Amino acid sequence: MSDNGNRGGQHHAAIEFERVDKGFNGRKVLDKVSFSVARGEVLCILGRSGTGKSVTLKLMIGLHKADAGKVLVGGEDMAALNEDGLVKVRRSMGFLFQSAALLDSFSLNQNLAMPLHRLDRTKSPDEIERVVDETLRQVGLEKDGEKMPAALSGGMQKRAGLARALVLKPEILLVDEPSSGLDRITAGEIDDLLVKVKTERHTTMVIVTHDVHGARKIGDKFAVLDQSRLLAFGPPEELDGMQDSRLQQFISEH
Amino acid sequence: MFKSAFEIVGRVTSFGARALRDAWFPPFEGEYLLRQFYEIGVSSVLLVVAAGFALGVVMTLHTRSTLVQFGATAAIPAFQSLAFFNEIGPLVTGLLMAGRVGASIGAQLANMRATEQIDAIETLSVNSFKLLVVTRVIACSIMLPLLTAFMDVAGILGGFLSEHLVSHLSWTLYLQRAFSSVALADFVPPTLKTAVFGFLIGTISCFFGYTTNEGSDGVRKAATNSVVISSLAIILADVILVKCIFFFFPDRAI
Repeated sequence: MSDNGNRGGQHHAAIEFERVDKGFNGRKVLDKVSFSVARGEVLCILGRSGTGKSVTLKLMIGLHKADAGKVLVGGEDMAALNEDGLVKVRRSMGFLFQSAALLDSFSLNQNLAMPLHRLDRTKSPDEIERVVDETLRQVGLEKDGEKMPAALSGGMQKRAGLARALVLKPEILLVDEPSSGLDRITAGEIDDLLVKVKTERHTTMVIVTHDVHGARKIGDKFAVLDQSRLLAFGPPEELDGMQDSRLQQFISEH
Repeated sequence: MFKSAFEIVGRVTSFGARALRDAWFPPFEGEYLLRQFYEIGVSSVLLVVAAGFALGVVMTLHTRSTLVQFGATAAIPAFQSLAFFNEIGPLVTGLLMAGRVGASIGAQLANMRATEQIDAIETLSVNSFKLLVVTRVIACSIMLPLLTAFMDVAGILGGFLSEHLVSHLSWTLYLQRAFSSVALADFVPPTLKTAVFGFLIGTISCFFGYTTNEGSDGVRKAATNSVVISSLAIILADVILVKCIFFFFPDRAI
């Protein structure tokens, strides 16, 4: 089952996992997991807490290194990259953390401007300000740029985190639990923003979530992790037809 | 226990060496460095001046009660200035800053680690070590000698006030007596040695904050360890540095 995801993704894959193992303190959280995400595709990773979903995202962006196997992003082996190589690959990626992880001593404007100042030296301060304003407008926070993160609600922090992840116009967006800690209406608003990113920018996305309803709204494919292994991988309609009661527990909306 | 103590010393040394090396290579994070100068230096001036002034008053009271028995109260200003320039100013400033700045840096970085802010910086292709650690180590190393100068001046002012209230000694005569036996070697080397204290405070507190991985409990431990280990390191370093000063300026080793 764990090799399901390799089918047909070899030539146009934005992200590939090849028999990836990862453990912490002797406990294996990913065991020979393989799948691939095509360019422009949205993959939702579902599964119980502690099954390595967030670790999967952090492997993709090089915050963790695989113990065995390969994680390829745009064909680059993340474990083999040096600091400069990682910076280059990460420039094409955005990451929305579960807690938003905004820098709490910076205003929203400064949070968004930070990567622009450092990575896009062709832009003048005025241009950077314009890009920041435009990105905040896209997530409905155009009036809150001067605020500090602590002054924002949970939903606003998530939107600000999404704005920061999008500010460099990434080709790949990694999203960790977009609806966690939010009420249904606010979670729906975040989902709508992600759908907008998908349809308008055709960004490749990998979303870790427990919210099956939201995942069905956004995802082209599901990857279900269970007990450190990939239980199932494929389009939701295909998985719906599988006669596996454990799998159905993860992907059923009821 | 000894093994783990040696291991920590080794890791802190390697951490400090990395900070020292990275400080010479771009990007230099000038804007963030200025922010650290303000937070570490400017924000500490009032504390240092108040402590120095109070110490100056108390020192004079104690010295007077002893010297009056020998009819040597005229030497009070010289004792005061030599004591402050040589040891009290540098050491007390170092210990005060280990408390104020060490705890602040340790807790702040540990909190940033626990809330994934450091990971977020990395995902934005920004070198978190240079942004968060190198800037703080540089700011501590540069601000400590300046704060020591403030403490010395405040201590002499406090000493003058205390002496003036008792003996009505004039400001001019007090200064004349205070500096009559002070050479440049009494002020410059001891003041510059606090750059080492600053480096130790910056390195040790950044190490405990930046490398923690224990969530909110890590914040508590980082703050405590930063203060305790920085203070201890300052006192031990002082012994070595005083010996070095006596070696290079033998006429001061009376």
